[in-house]
Amino acid sequence: MNHNPQSSDGKHDDDSALSDFLASLMDYAPTIPDELVEHYLAKSGFQCPDVRLIRLIAVATQKFVAEVASDALQHCKARQAAVVKDKREKQQKDKRLILTMDDLSKSLREYGVNVKHQEYFADSPSTGIDPASREE
Amino acid sequence: MRKSRSKRKSNIHLQQPTINPRDFQFMITKVAVSQICKSVGFRRSRVSALETLTLVATKYLETLVKSAASFSNAASRTQSNILDLTNALHDMSLQVGFMGASTLYDHNNNCLLKSSVLESLSDFVSSTNEIPFAKPIERAKERESEEVNAVPGSFQERGGHIPEWLPRFPDVGGTNENCDKRVNGEQLWEDSSSVLGCQIDGFEEKRCGSNNVGKLPKGRSRIKFRVNNGGGTRVGLNGISCNNVFGQSKDEEEAEPVAVCEKSVKSEEKQILVYKRRKKRC
Repeated sequence: MNHNPQSSDGKHDDDSALSDFLASLMDYAPTIPDELVEHYLAKSGFQCPDVRLIRLIAVATQKFVAEVASDALQHCKARQAAVVKDKREKQQKDKRLILTMDDLSKSLREYGVNVKHQEYFADSPSTGIDPASREE
Repeated sequence: MRKSRSKRKSNIHLQQPTINPRDFQFMITKVAVSQICKSVGFRRSRVSALETLTLVATKYLETLVKSAASFSNAASRTQSNILDLTNALHDMSLQVGFMGASTLYDHNNNCLLKSSVLESLSDFVSSTNEIPFAKPIERAKERESEEVNAVPGSFQERGGHIPEWLPRFPDVGGTNENCDKRVNGEQLWEDSSSVLGCQIDGFEEKRCGSNNVGKLPKGRSRIKFRVNNGGGTRVGLNGISCNNVFGQSKDEEEAEPVAVCEKSVKSEEKQILVYKRRKKRC
């Protein structure tokens, strides 16, 4: 997108947009608290007295978790829709939106994290079984 | 029937033991991650899935921060800034891909601060509802450390060999004013009345200073000195009271009531000590 060198007005707009965004972080309270982020910053050797950068890190992590969770939600909905087509009796039971390891591992695989759920420590007896064999 | 089954299942999930470490930070992260999951649209979650997502989020945060810190260290800085963080964000989001990733290291056309990752972050902030953390977290340790650091003020000036409960040195910054006053005093030295006035002022300042010195920046711990004479008498004195005793009186008989009257000394052992001494004299 940045093939053409933009004019000085465009650069000025970008700078002002970035500064506005950083200024808006002063009033924004991310879900991940500042104290937790500061703990991990101190643990990792990241020194910065600026609160806005801490908030930016918190927002980045929150965005990552939200994206992974929304992908898992889409996987969950798709799986339930496939089940519902075959059996409508289970529709109400399976209508609940539950975060499971199957959906989470599928969504995390897109982000470069390979999570394999150990079959022995299964959440429920039907976790490791395919939905096709579960119906029988 | 369905309800009873679901109840049974929920009970099973509650009783399930968790293997992951139950650290405080892990629990806080877990609460935050569950809040995010709830905001996305999930109603429930398996314990293992939530803990896995929490671990991944923690790893993401740590990796991001370590990468930014290494960028700042490579630029021979100790404090990180937004450029290091932007570089780290680019590295972290290369897996998924973003706009402008192909021209990332083309310095002619690309400005780091107008990256699409930061734009997507600002879009995320503007589009997502603000969900603050469930409960405020107190940081008691950091407050204590801040107070400790703030009270001595010139911590670098006072060496590590000086105990913390000792009073501060007088301000070094006032030396210039004192020099000026001294110059004025030299000019006024021939005038006897002004010299007297200066001396009186000086004494008043000293008294005020001594009052201020009485307020210690930190409560001192009790210190014992053991003096082994031929008889093996044991003398337990507080540090400052010991100085007062030797400074104010040369006679031992006068020293004992002064030491007894010291407020900071714990009275019981002191009385026992005085009692023992008198007994020996008798």
